[in-house]
Amino acid sequence: MNKKFTRAIVSDEIAPGGMKAIELDGNEIIICNNEGKFYTVQRRCGHMNAPLDLGTLDGIYITCPMHYAQFDVTNGEALSGPVPANIDHEVMSPLLSKYMQNIGKLMNHVRMVSIRTFATKTKDGWVLVAL
Amino acid sequence: MKESSINVESRKKALHYFFSKVVDPLGFKFTPDEELMNFLLEQEVILEGKHGIPFCPCQPLRHNRSRDMQIVCPCIPFHRKHFDSIKRCWCGLFVHKDVFDPDKLPQLPPEEANHE
Amino acid sequence: MKNVKIYTLSTCPWCRKTKNFFTEHKIPFTFIDYDLADEATQNSITQELDASGATGFPFVRINDEVIVGYQPERYAKALGI
Repeated sequence: MNKKFTRAIVSDEIAPGGMKAIELDGNEIIICNNEGKFYTVQRRCGHMNAPLDLGTLDGIYITCPMHYAQFDVTNGEALSGPVPANIDHEVMSPLLSKYMQNIGKLMNHVRMVSIRTFATKTKDGWVLVAL
Repeated sequence: MKESSINVESRKKALHYFFSKVVDPLGFKFTPDEELMNFLLEQEVILEGKHGIPFCPCQPLRHNRSRDMQIVCPCIPFHRKHFDSIKRCWCGLFVHKDVFDPDKLPQLPPEEANHE
Repeated sequence: MKNVKIYTLSTCPWCRKTKNFFTEHKIPFTFIDYDLADEATQNSITQELDASGATGFPFVRINDEVIVGYQPERYAKALGI
């Protein structure tokens, strides 16, 4: 089955090591440049939906800014879960404490999943993505 | 949607990539003892799965944030003088770049190590 | 007969080597895996570690002598073997 590739962005717009979030035919995606090779992933973190483009790209690894979950952009694989927040033994008001407890209970139900990837290639100075 | 379980080998590969970049400018490299390296990285993946952070597999967690941050791998910057004097980090995952025989490096605590 | 007490971590390969040393030399010893112990036990272990200035495992006490780190020659010397 032949995939239909759509022109997404001019290759020069993303320098090696960089990434850019765009919307293509209603799909929120991030195009990453790893040493000249392009990869495309869904924009939203597989944990709690935060925009991964506000995080960091290091090689083929993207880190979410919300809880630092990490994914491999070549295959979308979830590599590590959320990092616990730094609250240590912070003293909280009873109201805030109760709120945090309730959030904690709900967070136990939140699951991390791998992110979707899209076939990517370059042609005539463009990055093309199969949606 | 079913939760993804972390693939240990993939996570080890990622940790290897991130850690190399940190320890290299400090004068360290991964131990040439591949079996030890694999075992320790695997323990760190397990610890990361349990605590959310890859701690040193050979030092105690104090359950105190500022102390526990000092044993997040690679913990070399927090034990620079000690590790430089024994040419290895405590668990032995990293050794000085000029070490090719890691078995010969004893695991000495700071007070027994030779300081310059 | 010397009293041998060891504090270890289940995740540490040097701790495993330490236990093997005493087993292979047929020296009886007691040990606690710090990471698998309850909070109260962990607290008493860290108190003992702090008292000796120890920051890592394995922590071996042979009678009154404390040896930190995997050091088979020192174990042998302390045991007189």
